[in-house]
Amino acid sequence: MLVETRGLTKVFGEIRAVDDLSTAIPEGAIGLVGPNGAGKTTLLRLLLGLVQPTAGTGSVLGHDIADGIPVRERIGYMPEHDCLIPEMTGIGLVSYMARVSGLDRNTAMSRAHDVLQFVGVEEERYRKIAEYSTGMKQKVKLAQAMVHDPAVYIFDEPTTGLDPRGRTEMLRLLTTIASTLGRNMILSSHLLPDVEAICKHVVILDGGRQIAAGDLSRLLAGARDRLRVDVRGDRDRVAQALREANVEADVGPTGLRIARRAGVEAEVFRAARSVGAEVRYMGVEIRSLEELFLETVRQGEAGGR
Amino acid sequence: MSISLPRFTRRETPLLGRSHRVRAIVFAGLRRELRRPAAIFAIGVGTLITTVSSIFFVLFAPFLLQGQPLDLTFFYLPASNTAILFFVTLMAAIVGSGLVADDLRTMALTLYLSRPITQADYLTAKAAILGPLVAMIAILPLAITPIVAGLLGLFAWTIALHAVGLYLVIGVVLTAFYSSIALFLSSLTSRKAYAAAGIFAVTFGLTIPAQLLASAINQPALLYLSPWEDFLAIARGAFGVGGGPIDWAPALIILLGETVFASLATYVRMRALEVITG
Repeated sequence: MLVETRGLTKVFGEIRAVDDLSTAIPEGAIGLVGPNGAGKTTLLRLLLGLVQPTAGTGSVLGHDIADGIPVRERIGYMPEHDCLIPEMTGIGLVSYMARVSGLDRNTAMSRAHDVLQFVGVEEERYRKIAEYSTGMKQKVKLAQAMVHDPAVYIFDEPTTGLDPRGRTEMLRLLTTIASTLGRNMILSSHLLPDVEAICKHVVILDGGRQIAAGDLSRLLAGARDRLRVDVRGDRDRVAQALREANVEADVGPTGLRIARRAGVEAEVFRAARSVGAEVRYMGVEIRSLEELFLETVRQGEAGGR
Repeated sequence: MSISLPRFTRRETPLLGRSHRVRAIVFAGLRRELRRPAAIFAIGVGTLITTVSSIFFVLFAPFLLQGQPLDLTFFYLPASNTAILFFVTLMAAIVGSGLVADDLRTMALTLYLSRPITQADYLTAKAAILGPLVAMIAILPLAITPIVAGLLGLFAWTIALHAVGLYLVIGVVLTAFYSSIALFLSSLTSRKAYAAAGIFAVTFGLTIPAQLLASAINQPALLYLSPWEDFLAIARGAFGVGGGPIDWAPALIILLGETVFASLATYVRMRALEVITG
C-alpha cells in the first residue's frame, strides 16, 4: 500500500481538519480531491510529518509517519504556495535541496541539471528565481520535488496560477511522471479534469473525512445500471412522474438519473409527455469526475455527516 | 553465440546522513552571508575595529593606565571593549535576524521541513551559520590580542596563552547568547527588521536603563538584567579582577540560563510554526 491511515485525526482548535480518516491507498497515481477546507493539504502535511496527528496512525510505503525522516526520504513534495528562495538561481536552489535531501555534491548538481532539463527550465536556470514567471516557478518547484529521485511524489495544486499553456505543459510533465514505472504520485487538486486526466485512483475528501475512494474508471463507470436523461422542461416534474410510475429517478446537476430496467425508456417518454417536457438525450450514465464529486459531496451532506 | 538484450534497472541514489544535510545548509548559508555587503561590512569593520582597539589597549595601557599590573588581570581590559558589544549586536542583527525570518517570509521553511531533516537539524544549521560569524567579533579579536602581546614581548607566553584560553571560554558564552537570542527573535517574525530591532533592544534597551537605574537608586543588582554587564562580570571572574558591582557566578548562570531558555523557546516556536506555515 502507498498510504494507510487508521483513525487519523488532526484538530486545529475547534476545526477537525482531518477527522478519523481510515483509508488504504494503493500504489500508483492517486488523485486527492475535495472542496476547499476538505482537509487535503492537512492530510498531505500529516503524511509528510509536517504536522503531528491529534489521534490515529498512518504509514507511507510501510513507514510510520510518526518517524518523519524515513518517510520524507521517500517523498518529493511540491507545495501549493510559493516557497522558493528568491535570491537563489534555479540550479542553485534545486541542487541545494538535493543536498539537503542527502545527495552528495556532484550527484546533486548532476541531478539538478537533469530534472531542470526535464521540466523545461533551460538557460533560465542560471537566473535568480525572483526574476521567474509563475510558470517557471512552478517548474522549479516540481524539479526540487523530483531531484532526489523519491518513490512518492506529492503535488499540491500543481497547476494553480498557471495560464492554459503552462497548465498543459505541467499536466504533460505530471502524466510522464505518473506513467514512469515504480513511481507513485498523490495529486491534490480541486481542478478535477486534471486529476481525471492523470490519476488511476481517486480519494474524495469532505469535512476531513473520506466520502469516496476507488479505481477512477470503476467509480465513473459504476453507474452503468443507470440512465442519464436530459429533458427540456421541468426536470423535477418529470422525475416526480417517473417516481409515480415506480421508476427510481432523481435529479442531478446534469439531468435525471434513472435506474435501468426493462421498458424504462418508454416510461421516460410517457412521463415527459405527461408533464409537457421533451426528452433531448437518453443514454447510459458515464459520469465525469466532476459529476461524481458533486454527487458524493451532496450525498455526504444529505447524510448529515 | 547468444545475444543478450541490455537490461535497464533504476539506480537507487544513496542518501547521505543527517549530518551531511545539516552541513549542506550551513555551507550554503555561510556562502550566502559572505556575499552580502552588509554582512561583509559587519565582519570586516567589526573584526578590524575590535582587533585594532584591543591591541591598542595592550600597547598603550602601560602609558595610559599607570600602575596597571601587566599580569593576567590586565586582559580584562580588552574584554571590556564596548566595540565588541556594538559589533556583536550588529552582526547578530544583520545576519541572525533573517536566518529564520527570511524562510518564514518566503515560506521556504516548508521546503526545508519537507526534506528528511528535523526542526532541531534546521535550527542547529542556522545556529552554525550565525555562531562562527558572531565569534569573529566575540572571540577572534580577543584571541589575537594576547598573541600579539606575546609576540611583542609585552607579556610572558604563559600569561598570553592563558588569556587566549580564557577569551575562548568567555567568547563562546557571548557567542552562544547572541546566537540563541537572534534565532529566537528571528523565529518570531517574518520581518527581519523587527528581529534586528529586537536584538538591539535586548542589548542596549536592557544595558543602558539598567546602568542608569542601578547608579540612580544605588542598586547594583539591577545590572544583572544587562547581558553586557553579565558578560563583564564573567570576564572579571575569569581574569581575577576584583571589585565589580555584580558577581560573576550569578551573571554566568543568568547568561547561560537565558541562552538555554532562548534555544528551547526557539525550538518550541519551530514546532508550532509547522502548523501555520502554508
